[in-house]
Amino acid sequence: MTAPSPLIPRRLVAGFVAGFAILAVLPVGVELSPYAHNLLTSSFIMIAGVLAWNWMGGFVGQVSFGHASLFGVGAFVSARLMLSVHLPVPACWLAGAVCAGVFALAAHPMLRLRGPYFSIATIGFGEISRQVLTYWERFTGGASGLSLPIDAVLKYQLYWWALGFAVLVALASVAIRRSSLGLKLLAIKADADAAADVGISTTFYQDVIFMLSGTVVGLSGGLWASYFGFIEPSDMLGFDRSIAFVLMAVVGGIGTSLGPVLGAVVFVLVRTYLLASYPELYLGLYGLLLICIILFEPLGLTGLGLRVVAAVQRARRRRSREVV
Amino acid sequence: MTRFVDMLVAAVLLAGLYATMAYGLGLIYGVLRVVNLAHGGVIMVGAYLGWVLHERLGIDPYLAIPIVALASFGLGVAMYALLVQRLPRGAAGGPASLLLLFGVWLVLRNIAYLLFTGNDQAIRTAYSTQSRMILGTHVAVSRLVVLGIALAIAVTLQLVLRRTQLGRAIRAVAQNADSCTLVGIDVRRIYMLTFGIGTALAGVAGVLFATIFPFNPASGASELLKSFVVVVLGGLGSITGVAVAALIVALAEVFSIFVLPAYLTTTVGFLLLVVVLVLRPGGLFGQRVLS
Amino acid sequence: MTLLVARGLTKRFGGLIALDDVDLTLADREILGVIGPNGAGKTTLFSVLAGSIRPTSGEVMLAGARVTGPAHRTVRAGIVRTHQIVRPFGNLTVFENVLVAAIHAPGHGETRAADRAAEVLSFVGLSDRAEQLPVTLTLAGRKRLELARALSTGPRVVLLDEVVAGVNPTEALAFAALIRRVRDERGISVIMTEHVMPAVMSLSDRIVVLDRGKRIAEGTPQEIAADPRVITAYLGTEAAPEDPPEAAPEAAPEAAPEDPQ
Repeated sequence: MTAPSPLIPRRLVAGFVAGFAILAVLPVGVELSPYAHNLLTSSFIMIAGVLAWNWMGGFVGQVSFGHASLFGVGAFVSARLMLSVHLPVPACWLAGAVCAGVFALAAHPMLRLRGPYFSIATIGFGEISRQVLTYWERFTGGASGLSLPIDAVLKYQLYWWALGFAVLVALASVAIRRSSLGLKLLAIKADADAAADVGISTTFYQDVIFMLSGTVVGLSGGLWASYFGFIEPSDMLGFDRSIAFVLMAVVGGIGTSLGPVLGAVVFVLVRTYLLASYPELYLGLYGLLLICIILFEPLGLTGLGLRVVAAVQRARRRRSREVV
Repeated sequence: MTRFVDMLVAAVLLAGLYATMAYGLGLIYGVLRVVNLAHGGVIMVGAYLGWVLHERLGIDPYLAIPIVALASFGLGVAMYALLVQRLPRGAAGGPASLLLLFGVWLVLRNIAYLLFTGNDQAIRTAYSTQSRMILGTHVAVSRLVVLGIALAIAVTLQLVLRRTQLGRAIRAVAQNADSCTLVGIDVRRIYMLTFGIGTALAGVAGVLFATIFPFNPASGASELLKSFVVVVLGGLGSITGVAVAALIVALAEVFSIFVLPAYLTTTVGFLLLVVVLVLRPGGLFGQRVLS
Repeated sequence: MTLLVARGLTKRFGGLIALDDVDLTLADREILGVIGPNGAGKTTLFSVLAGSIRPTSGEVMLAGARVTGPAHRTVRAGIVRTHQIVRPFGNLTVFENVLVAAIHAPGHGETRAADRAAEVLSFVGLSDRAEQLPVTLTLAGRKRLELARALSTGPRVVLLDEVVAGVNPTEALAFAALIRRVRDERGISVIMTEHVMPAVMSLSDRIVVLDRGKRIAEGTPQEIAADPRVITAYLGTEAAPEDPPEAAPEAAPEAAPEDPQ
């Protein structure tokens, strides 16, 4: 048996670079309908967010059911700054990201918890955040939320902002996975006490990755707010949105680098389709999907993909043996 | 002073409900080491079952409890046999079981939504609006009944766990499942039955809940949180511990109105949990929560 | 030269007194054996020394400096432990298991960590398994990995918790030789606890005996073997050459029998 983290094969890397190039050029070459533009941009933003969620849920193994709180904080800080202080847009996004990162540190006491205790604590963390922000009307506009001025140019350009962001986060994700930080996180995931027994400060590294995760998710919140132009607390920080992060990561393949990408894309596509045709079934279908994935293919779509690749390789080897 | 007594009484009544909710979660966790993330969903299912039996068949919700208990038991047994059982053994406590049961919760929620729409419901009986005088304050009859039933449940649970063979087997498996197979206890069957009892308790708690509070398919998250807080505070081994913890949480919630703005009272339990875990990781009764 | 001094270590778990005012000294380059009947407090002692449990009272001094928990801080100070039931990181390769422990050791830099890890792996004889996952190793292999991981943190003292238990006699001999090399070649002091009497008797320079949390005897192996208090508390009749290994349930299933060498 070899190491479980498959080195990314060169062909896949080439495929990604090509894909990125095509996506980067697409809106210039083809006239994208608002629907397609929306779909793609949302996907890019979500890809970044889920990749960051995966740093906690996949690398360290601490499944967060409360990431919407970080998403929402980033969005509201960014929007509020845009409305009240009129900073340049990227600065607002960054400020939102930083605030979300700092807010993530507020969860420090929870990071000492392991497994299910942590997960349930994150549900509470998310719920409290939602309630506090809903009632902090001066900041978030309360239940009516905040509306940002319509800026068609920005909206159009957000496609590239989001794409670039997604790619950067993907690269960061791979870099973290291969770095000593990634190794430590995996060790903590395998056995936190044994990790401490070999000198790894479990709370420190979990703080670090949770803060990084929060910062990136906060930034994605800021982008989301700018793109959609309207945000309100019960949607941005709601349990359903936290659920979405979990679903995307698990469907795509929790713990892998490719998983969040696939998961986010599939989720956005399916969600848009379901919301249009069968809005009343979408939670249940996701529930069933989750159940099937956990029972049959814990690595989600990535796992399925790996199995397909392995089967194809086996078939090819068999054929070459037959020829000989 | 009367205000104080009012709130004390209110807390005691609420504590019964919280304790019943917590027993279901705690039993499953104590024996199987699985956190039933669908717990809130089962509570919601119990609430709707009680409501349907009342609306469509005119059965008094408190009398419907045995039916709901049985149905919830069946649901739990099915959940275990079809799903939880298939998890690889080591994954029992891990993210896999959480996500699996979370998926079940989503499905339950969707089914409820399809059958009943997303609107709030509540079980209103002829005596829902009646009240009695207790210690100089008006107390809703329904809340009194809930407390009474909760006490009955606690006593029954205690008796079953301590005096029956099934109860002894359950406690043995909770202590050391491997040794139990060696002495001929069918551990899988115990797991299944325990899961069923746990969901039965959740379902009953749901009916009780429905007679006091409104509910809808999305209900369950706060109830899950509260149950969890009570279990952590009260410890896994002790029925009285859970009861006391339920009282503490209820007291904190009721009295927090003096300290916190109104919208945060429902999250008081969670704040309490964080405080306790930070200060005393072993919970109030010395149970290890951090692995 | 005294390296480690533990004074008045006491640990209470509620009403249970696991350690009762235990004193311990360890000289530089010494192998100290800790023995005692089941429940004597050996593992608690190790956990306290390693920092994963805080003592109710008492202190641990390494080279004159006070050492406290939590565990990761104790490791950085220079005391590391192995576990009675091995706990490899199942999701990392053998090499990565050792590497992640080497990263923090004094002697900085990441490439240096990789070199250190490779060196430690060859010291314990697992170089050819570097790219395998721990689950493919036999129990002896996993125990070597456990030792390698501890060594790569660059410790001054290593606490070996029943490292020989459960392996066959040939492997036990190889382990004993390895432990001696740890002290002789690497200059690391060792505190070891064992139920396999021949191992601890032959390896230790000195032995401390615990019984019900108290230290009841201390001396050379010969003195201890003759001490009537020890015999009463623990040995009963003379120990058989092959004491049945500790029946500790293993954390991971055994792979197909394969010689780690």
